[in-house]
Amino acid sequence: MESELIAVVLAGGLFVTVAVALISSKVSNSLIALFYSSIILGIAFTLYGDALLGLVTMITFAGAISVLLLSVVLITGESNLNFGPRRLAAGAIPLAAVVGGVSLLALFTGQAGGIASSDSSLNVLSFLWTLRPWDLLILMVVFAGAMVAIVSLLGGED
Amino acid sequence: MALDQTILIAAGTALLFVGIGSVAMSKNLLKSIMSFQVTVFGANLALFASGMGFGSRLVSDTFVILSVLVGASVEAVGLAIIVVVYKKYGTLNPDEIRRLRR
Repeated sequence: MESELIAVVLAGGLFVTVAVALISSKVSNSLIALFYSSIILGIAFTLYGDALLGLVTMITFAGAISVLLLSVVLITGESNLNFGPRRLAAGAIPLAAVVGGVSLLALFTGQAGGIASSDSSLNVLSFLWTLRPWDLLILMVVFAGAMVAIVSLLGGED
Repeated sequence: MALDQTILIAAGTALLFVGIGSVAMSKNLLKSIMSFQVTVFGANLALFASGMGFGSRLVSDTFVILSVLVGASVEAVGLAIIVVVYKKYGTLNPDEIRRLRR
């Protein structure tokens, strides 16, 4: 239960920081959010038993790449990052909501004994958890791809 | 598959697609590089999570380290190209750059 809660918190933190980095029109906010998302990813790797990988991630992305991005921003002087149409937010927010909702549902149905229990008919969406792992991954890929495709189709030239 | 593994794989896959969509839609090359970094984060997280739960995670860890290093190198080269493009065209908007090239 504890590791699942940690996974939900880390995934939520990653989503929030990435959403801020991609949606914000201020370059300083984007850079800071991207820096924090690198740190959260490194912490995730460290907490799940791979400290070396977490360290490499933090040194590479939170260290080197953040400094490189900052240098390029200073050289070009692009303080206002025009994101264009904000339709990506329309795709990213439902996607994050779906992933967060499914994760929380999995967490709480697992807590209620849905996975260990033989009587799975009491759980909402219990059929989902009886699928094989690769089926779940393929489902997620198909949903995410469909969402990106819809956002791209709806997004035209300004 | 453990529950935390499912959550991390789902989060990684979602990040991957959010990053790809943002790369495709952004109107600023710098923002494209940031979106590419998000894509790399998603790929790394999904790769790492896919190796969880098996006794030895050497293969997935090796792939994640390879992905981190390749992603960082690609980003560094992309940023260098951005500086050159900005010095030549004075803008980072891909549409504007395409118009100026004609």
